Amino acid sequence: MSRYRRVWVVYRKELVETLRDKRTLAAMVLVPIVLYPVLMIIIVQALRAETGRRQAERYSVCVPDEVHRDWLRGVLRREDAEYESGVRAEKPGPARSPADMSPSEMLRARLRADQVEITVLDPDSSLWDAVRDQRFHVGLIVEPPPNPKRPADRRNRSVQILYSETSPRSEYVFGQLNNILAHEADRIVRARVSRMPDGVATLTPFLTNHLSTSSSEQQFAKILAMVVPFLLVIMTVTGALYPSIDLTAGERERGTLETLAVSPVPVGQIVAGKFGVIVTIAMFSTALNLGSMTAMFHFSRLGELAASFRPVPAGEPAATQAAPDSATQDAGVGLTQRDYLRERMRLEQEAGQKAGFITKAAPIVLLAMLPFAVLAGGVMLATCSFARTFKEAQNYMMPVMMAFMIPAMVVSYMPTTRLEGVLLVIPVANIVILIRELFLGNYQPAAMGICLLSTCFYAAVAVTVAARLYGNESVLFADVGSYKTLFARRYIRPQEAPSPAAALSVVALLFPFYFYWQSYLINFAASPERIRLIVAMGQIFVLALPCLVFAWYLKLNVRETFALRWPAALPALAVLLIAAGIVPVGNLLRAVQFQWFPPGPDMLGEEAGKLIEGSLASVLLALAIAPGICEELVFRGFLLSGLRRRVSAVASVVIVGLIFGLFHLYMEKIPVHSVLGAILALVCLRCGSIIPAMVVHIANNAIPLLATRYEALGSFFALPASADELVTPRLDARGLAFIGVFLVGLVMLCLTRKRRA
Amino acid sequence: MVEVHELVKVFPTTEGEEKRAVDGLSFTVAPGEIYGLLGPNGAGKTTSLRMISGLLSPTSGYVRLNGFDVIARREQAKRCLGYLTASTGLYQRLTPREILRYFGELMDMSRDEVDRRIVELIDWLDMREFADLRCGGLSTGQRQRTNIARALMGDPPILIMDEPTLGLDVLTNRIVLDFIRAEAARGKAVIMSTHYLDEAETLCHRFGLIHEGRLVGEGGLAALQEKAGRRRLSEIFLKLCGHDEHVLRQPPGAEGTPSQGRGAA
Repeated sequence: MSRYRRVWVVYRKELVETLRDKRTLAAMVLVPIVLYPVLMIIIVQALRAETGRRQAERYSVCVPDEVHRDWLRGVLRREDAEYESGVRAEKPGPARSPADMSPSEMLRARLRADQVEITVLDPDSSLWDAVRDQRFHVGLIVEPPPNPKRPADRRNRSVQILYSETSPRSEYVFGQLNNILAHEADRIVRARVSRMPDGVATLTPFLTNHLSTSSSEQQFAKILAMVVPFLLVIMTVTGALYPSIDLTAGERERGTLETLAVSPVPVGQIVAGKFGVIVTIAMFSTALNLGSMTAMFHFSRLGELAASFRPVPAGEPAATQAAPDSATQDAGVGLTQRDYLRERMRLEQEAGQKAGFITKAAPIVLLAMLPFAVLAGGVMLATCSFARTFKEAQNYMMPVMMAFMIPAMVVSYMPTTRLEGVLLVIPVANIVILIRELFLGNYQPAAMGICLLSTCFYAAVAVTVAARLYGNESVLFADVGSYKTLFARRYIRPQEAPSPAAALSVVALLFPFYFYWQSYLINFAASPERIRLIVAMGQIFVLALPCLVFAWYLKLNVRETFALRWPAALPALAVLLIAAGIVPVGNLLRAVQFQWFPPGPDMLGEEAGKLIEGSLASVLLALAIAPGICEELVFRGFLLSGLRRRVSAVASVVIVGLIFGLFHLYMEKIPVHSVLGAILALVCLRCGSIIPAMVVHIANNAIPLLATRYEALGSFFALPASADELVTPRLDARGLAFIGVFLVGLVMLCLTRKRRA
Repeated sequence: MVEVHELVKVFPTTEGEEKRAVDGLSFTVAPGEIYGLLGPNGAGKTTSLRMISGLLSPTSGYVRLNGFDVIARREQAKRCLGYLTASTGLYQRLTPREILRYFGELMDMSRDEVDRRIVELIDWLDMREFADLRCGGLSTGQRQRTNIARALMGDPPILIMDEPTLGLDVLTNRIVLDFIRAEAARGKAVIMSTHYLDEAETLCHRFGLIHEGRLVGEGGLAALQEKAGRRRLSEIFLKLCGHDEHVLRQPPGAEGTPSQGRGAA
């Protein structure tokens, strides 16, 4: 029977068992379906209760004498009158009851005159003490005293408001009074100015009028983009949590793992089946959450509430009515304000199509969540594989959950961060940004590709590690040593080459560090010498050295791991032919690729040009020899020898190629570098030695560098002289000859007897 | 046919010392034979049985099941094997019938074969009344019968049982012992470990007495009686383990107690 059928058998059984678990079902189905509507009801009810109370409650203000009292009453009445006549209100009309209000209206409750009780204090008592002792919410004194009969007289006064910052009611009244007094001041100014010859028009030299070009659909998406990616990450992680504990530590605790281990099924297939269930449950839970969440946003008008927090409100066409008519007349330059206004009105009319947007975005978002669910499932499966009991696994899950949440949270607080640079490969953070960009309608296929590929790569590593740990005997049986002995160097048995799990883990660990190093280089380095120094240092200290240290720690046979031996004569000759032809072949591949994908920003070498100024020796050392040696040690040494222990030669070559391509960050570079990486892996495997791969790699890097100094060399190797030539595939006799040389070398290499490692 | 050759297992411990749990164990079990692996707690019985089943890899030495090395040809070797312990759990949320189907499918049996074998086993082990209930609600005896059925699902030629009767009532105990006898009579090689020496005496054809990871006595009852100069298996056991006379005079837990291991045998 095929291995896939056995994986399917394990998957089906685990899924049935998981779905029969009430805890998982509750966490997966009940919580998303019930939680969000309940949350919505609670929030809306709480807002209503708060608004209702504020509207019903009476507030006390103390003033020093009757003149103050009469004046304040007058002010409050004028304010009420202004709202009722609709001059100030967004939606004119009398105050509505909280039940009829939308959530955003509820937040803008207003203090009415009948809510304020004004008390005149004894002449001897102090306003300060009265407010401090909380006998009154606010104290108010005006100097010189106000004139209730002629509030708009020509005298300027100062108003002092005493309030208590620690009492929420006092603060509320203070805030409201502040607004009301500002409106009163505005009224006085208008009254004074209206007596002047030029009238009120003096006060408004211009009116600003905001028209947002975003549709309400896009604004809704923007609000979702702030909250949803973070919530989705949490929901996916939570969804994966129970099944990962139950299928690993739970199985061990119940004593069923032993029977499974004794069945004739390889551990990898068991882990694959279980892993499938974890991803299924996580994705199902994510989909339910996404659906429930968007439905809630849609039906509850909570989206409107969130929209009311925008710093600049979207265009209110009513504001233009105050603008002089002449402003909207044709000035002879095409479109007028009226046209734009009409545009905006059209958008407003199209409002209410939020559901349409959600149905469009949701499938893409779910698709983007899939690699993340794979990553979360893999990491959790690997972590739980250590645990022997349910409780122990729960303890391990805490830091894992934090590790997922913190990057997601940090990125959520950085709304202007874009999907670029090192963020592309930072796990979790890249997915959060990716989903945000999807919600905002920014589709950048290259960046998304890298983001998804790197997440898949981490996930693959996590699953490999999980499979390795799952079958380990000290994890399988509680009474066999301790899992602590898994990592102590003392207990590691010497091996010829790293295990595939170890090799992939080490490369995955180097991945973000190497990117961090590269972005450091782009940001801070200025002089070409310094950039080259950093490149070389990165190669040595971030790539090669860690691999050597791991090889020592894992007690590997360094000679076998890194294939450190001389090649035989015939393969060596074949490799020289390959090295001679590699640059023209690479250029041809690149040109062919450009037919489908246009070149990226740094592909045509404009920025790289600066990098190669200065001494030739230092250029070659940093950009050809260091990468040629260090990258080979990592990819064709450590990684390839690790993969070869369990994976067929063809698959190893393909995987090494893909990972090597992925290390080159720019999506446009991945295809060509993957092919080059695979060729180098093939060279290394066929020769049984890493030295030929280093030679080909150095030749590939050095020849174009040398050609910039010696034109003759460039034309000898038929290198493209301009960016145009780089983009269009061009084959002259010389180019064809080099490709022929390359192919002869490749065939020779494949035909020679492979040297047994 | 089981061949165990110079089996050694060394465990690293966190304290830094190494523990030799099994130290040079060798024996063979022929088809139709019941081999009793006996020894005090911590003697290395469970570790040995786990190595024989391929759950642990030996530090040195080898195990062959029907000629297949359990490490090098893991899959083929495990196909020959039915494994049963007292501590083996069942999937709480599946029924016995579903569990049998699951393990049958994992052994690459065809759908018809699986169906036929399930009917056979349910019939033979008298599991009809609980075959479609979830395992979470079964009694200890019902669970052990389900476990036996699970171990026999692929009709393996070799059975390895680690204390199969621990904690069972008289009736289930009888069922288990009858099943072992019947399977041996059908030509299967059986290795079992037990603490119940009377049970072993009537059941096993040959014995291996294991103490501190080594075989201290091996052979049929007659050979052991001759070697130890005692008649009953329990007396032979005490004599060969070096606790002959003074075992009753020592207070419990004193110097003579051989159990020093971390786990139960």
